[in-house]
Amino acid sequence: MIKMRWVALLAALTLVVAACGGDDDTTDTPETTAAPDTTQGTQAPATTEAVTPTQSMDYTFHMVTHSDDGVFWSVVKRGAQDAADALGVEMVWSPSSNDPEKQVQDVQAAVASGSDGIGVSLANPEALGPEVEAAIAAGIPVITLNSGSNQFKELGAITHVGQTEVVAGNGAGERFNALGAGKVLCAQQEQGNIGLEERCQGLEETFNGEVVTQFVGLDSEPEAQINTIAAALQADADIDGVLGVGPNVAVRAVEAGNQAGRDLFIGGFDISGDLISAIDAGNVHFTVDQQQYLQGYLTVVFLFLNATNLNTVGGGLPVLTGPGFVTTDNVGEVAALVEAGTR
Amino acid sequence: MSTETPTVPAVQADERLAYRGPIQRLLTRPEIGGLIGAGSIWIFFWSVSDVFGTTAGINNYLDVATSLGIMAIAVALLMIGGEFDLSSGAMTGATGMLVVLLVKDTGELGGLGLPLTVAIPITFLFAMGVGWINGTLVEKTGLPSFIVTLGTFFVLRGAKLGFSKLFVDKVIVEGLDDAPDYDFWVNIFGAVWIRNDHLWDSFLGGRDLVFGVLAAIGATAIVVGFMELSLVRRTEAGSMPSVRSAFALLIGLVAGFGGLIYLTQTDGVADNWTGALVMAVGAILAIYGYSSWRFEPFSGSSGGVSMGGQNGRRALIGIGLIVVGTLLGVVMDSSNTDVLGLLLTVQGLRAILFGGCVIVGVLILLGAAQRSDTSPVNRFVLTALAGLSVAGVGFVIQAEAASRKYRAEFFAWMMAAAVLLVTIAIVRISFDQRRHADEPADRFGTLVSISGIVVFLMAIATKLLWATSIELVESRAIITYRISILYFFVFAGVATWILMRTKFGSWTFAVGGNKGASRQVGVPAARTKTQLFMVVSGASWLVGTLIAFRLNSVQANVGDGQEFFYIIAAVVGGNLLTGGYGSAAGAAIGALIMAMSFQGIPFAGWNSDWRFLFVGVILLLAVMVNNYVRGRAEKST
Amino acid sequence: MSEPALLEIEGISKFYGNIIALRDITTSVRAGEVTCVLGDNGAGKSTFIKILAGAHKQSEGRLFVEGEEVSFDSPRDALALGIATVYQDLAVVPLMSVWRNFFLGAEPTKWGPLKVIDREKAASIAKEELAKMGIDIRDTEQSVGTLSGGERQSVAIARAAYFGAKVLILDEPTSALGVKQSGVVLRYIVEARNRGLGVIFITHNPHHAYPVGDRFMILNRGQSLGDYAKAELTQPELTQLMAGGADLEALQHELSKAIGG
Repeated sequence: MIKMRWVALLAALTLVVAACGGDDDTTDTPETTAAPDTTQGTQAPATTEAVTPTQSMDYTFHMVTHSDDGVFWSVVKRGAQDAADALGVEMVWSPSSNDPEKQVQDVQAAVASGSDGIGVSLANPEALGPEVEAAIAAGIPVITLNSGSNQFKELGAITHVGQTEVVAGNGAGERFNALGAGKVLCAQQEQGNIGLEERCQGLEETFNGEVVTQFVGLDSEPEAQINTIAAALQADADIDGVLGVGPNVAVRAVEAGNQAGRDLFIGGFDISGDLISAIDAGNVHFTVDQQQYLQGYLTVVFLFLNATNLNTVGGGLPVLTGPGFVTTDNVGEVAALVEAGTR
Repeated sequence: MSTETPTVPAVQADERLAYRGPIQRLLTRPEIGGLIGAGSIWIFFWSVSDVFGTTAGINNYLDVATSLGIMAIAVALLMIGGEFDLSSGAMTGATGMLVVLLVKDTGELGGLGLPLTVAIPITFLFAMGVGWINGTLVEKTGLPSFIVTLGTFFVLRGAKLGFSKLFVDKVIVEGLDDAPDYDFWVNIFGAVWIRNDHLWDSFLGGRDLVFGVLAAIGATAIVVGFMELSLVRRTEAGSMPSVRSAFALLIGLVAGFGGLIYLTQTDGVADNWTGALVMAVGAILAIYGYSSWRFEPFSGSSGGVSMGGQNGRRALIGIGLIVVGTLLGVVMDSSNTDVLGLLLTVQGLRAILFGGCVIVGVLILLGAAQRSDTSPVNRFVLTALAGLSVAGVGFVIQAEAASRKYRAEFFAWMMAAAVLLVTIAIVRISFDQRRHADEPADRFGTLVSISGIVVFLMAIATKLLWATSIELVESRAIITYRISILYFFVFAGVATWILMRTKFGSWTFAVGGNKGASRQVGVPAARTKTQLFMVVSGASWLVGTLIAFRLNSVQANVGDGQEFFYIIAAVVGGNLLTGGYGSAAGAAIGALIMAMSFQGIPFAGWNSDWRFLFVGVILLLAVMVNNYVRGRAEKST
Repeated sequence: MSEPALLEIEGISKFYGNIIALRDITTSVRAGEVTCVLGDNGAGKSTFIKILAGAHKQSEGRLFVEGEEVSFDSPRDALALGIATVYQDLAVVPLMSVWRNFFLGAEPTKWGPLKVIDREKAASIAKEELAKMGIDIRDTEQSVGTLSGGERQSVAIARAAYFGAKVLILDEPTSALGVKQSGVVLRYIVEARNRGLGVIFITHNPHHAYPVGDRFMILNRGQSLGDYAKAELTQPELTQLMAGGADLEALQHELSKAIGG
């Protein structure tokens, strides 16, 4: 019980220092904390004696991501939702479809609505950095997920849940070495996404041969993706491997290889039903799985633990969810989980 | 032709109206800007990439152009009718997804497992319904279609995601081939034709010979047709040619075709030169023979050669540029591939300097020729100079080039261009320009030039569809033509025909050009516009179905955001954003331009980061060219 | 007075709520005659046209076409009875060719249900009909936008005449044109009259109206200032009526004082 008191005191203190009176649900706090008179700050502990976070389990966490609600992100969302259901809290999912401006606005909206914790994917750290700092300054705990392993610390986020993209790329590079590829095309499905760039950088770091990096068209234009990969292959006869840094690109690479009449080593990133069948059929050799279900699930759990118990996970280091690999050896077991929508 | 000519006040001609022949009229078609653009982009990427100009390359960007093009044509029709449809992109994904959802026998949709024979018509009706709703909303509310269809766009986008999550709990629906009658329908929407299966190496003397002969016949017909359209017929046009004309014609034809065949069959430097020269002389002789038989000789006063004044200066600058460019091309190290700046290698810089100087020089010369209307001799000299320069540069390239692409193909084209220019020069000084309509000559000329264009297109098709065993060894690519390409071409043709020839086409132009006026004279404006919206959603249905059959699965975001590329393609192809003007064929060309610019970048091995910069520049150029062409269309009378 | 007038307007009024747009207007147009309706801005000219064209319904009064009382529910009804209206800004589609404009909405087609336009027929008829009006269009393929303003109005007039209009209502056809172009249009009005059409020529310019008109009806603030035959009126009188009579005299007086002073 004494422990809980301390927690309550600390929580109240942070709230006061941050001068934020956001949460409508914790009805007792606003009276004092929202008061503009800052000279009363020192008296705050006494007045907030009554406040205990456990009074209300009615937490709301915001997941502000650059999600396009595609194959990958729907699993993250599923993880976050499952965690929220298990913990009995509210989870608000704000996808921005790779639009940094919308994401900025979503963070602002979350802050304005007095969120109890924000999970944010830093696909575009330049745009989102100030907003994340503002949220933290407003006393809202933030965890970055998926993208942002390099920035979360300086921004003051609790931790980062995801795989560091470079490490994942490194893993892919080693796989290609083992397969015996000579020159690999790193095919990107988005332009200017730092995570995808890092995957290709990671590939370059460990891969013994040469790497060509190219944007091959968005996922919303599948035919263009096939033909652009084929064009790159035809333009350079030395390319004998393709790393699709997303699940769809890897599947498109199979058809592009057929079209260009080339035998390729193909690796992918993340998981989709098509990709699993392609691995099963032996057309794709491996995929780097960042187990994104964990990114949604753990973020919500960590935010919850921070809100209720002030736990900070990670100790200043990111919590890695990957890379795991799906190859022909384990594709069968994974396929069942994919069907269930959790891998 | 009307037989009963009313008492027209004896050609009380407005002196401001100059004669505007079929050729001038052709040059003001909305597609012209797009065609020039497509040609330039093709040549550009052809010269920087080894694969771009091959069948594998062409097949690649044709495939990309197909979906884009089918949509761009429909969107162009709607734009001509004065409206936009921002839901068209999302609609492709929606219809594709719907057809897969309907045939799936799992998921919450309750194992509907419909056969495709039922699912495809249902999807089509759905598409028609969405088009009808779009059109009716726009007409009933009077709101801008931009807003209304933006609403539909979001509705569709949300529905795609929501329903796919609801029914299959995933954002991608897979398994179109589960349908019981898939094997039948795949022939209609997913058929492929593999070119590599069709080898006729020595049929009719080989592909290149057939191509060369067809191309030459086509080109000859085009030249004859254009001469008939622009020169004055002799009064005794039906009579036999004089001995001199007949002799020139005969010798010219034999020499021309002989040279051509020789050129296509050999690859040595000396052989090429000989072949080209024989062909050039033959062609010029033949054309001279033909025209001295058919047309009135030049009757005006010629005026002397005067190289002074502004035109003289222009000519000097042009020649200077050509010489400088050629020297640069010869002197700069062609084997140096060091990277100089962002994109350029030394080699690339050389190509750009060389090409740029020569092209600009020739254009300046031709411009100077065009301006010297008062002195036909000047015009002759300048045009001929331009032609000879092209020939000279061709020989330089031929001697310098390391690859067969430049040595044989490019050289042949440059020789053809040179011959054409010199012929124009000779014909224009030797024969009278026609300045009035001449019904039989116009009809004959149009017929001949159109057949020429058809034969020429056949030649190109020959080259594309006919694989030689050497090519198959060289490229490992399996060239598969999808049935969607057929749909693209057919749709482009049908849409063009509808626009130009039918009542509906006329009304489309009218409701986009001046809705009030067309309503006033009884055009059902609302119905026409609604039908146009339905054309767009129908095209979305076709594209969505084609994608579903190709990928066997459709992701919820397929097509989202593509609507802007459809509009861009239509605009690049000469369609006016404000409506009332444009062409369906132009939109198809616009789609081809977009596809070539997107696909050219990986073919050239460039950094894809520059992709949108490139597209932006093309868009700006296209819009400016179109503006210029349209300006001329409205002014020139 | 042997045969009935083509179009007779008897005591027409139009109220919009409690606003009286037109009150008790009576005039007529006969075959081969031009009736000019003159009025300044806001005199009720456009309401008048809309009633005749069938776009609005009169509140009071009756319309007779060739002696029969009629009632228009839509512009289509008016058109069917041979009353064609050419609006100043809605005459033509500028980016379309002359023959397409000429036949717009009533294209001659062939090949049955395919509704393919018979281009040659359309082009030659357009050329012929325009020639009958004295307009020489060398090339009916050229877009109407390339024609002068007067010629554009004329194309619309010729079109209406060809499609069987008996009465032609022209809304300010000369107002946006220069002196010379106005002359062109006036000539075509006369041409149409000579071909036996009845023309209602709406304008605010008495100098344009007087030379071509056979009857004059002057509108002022929704009321008729009289319906005169040409014989009853001189041009200066018309000008004066049009400008509101005494008002103009006062204005002239004032002006001369200002200039002289």
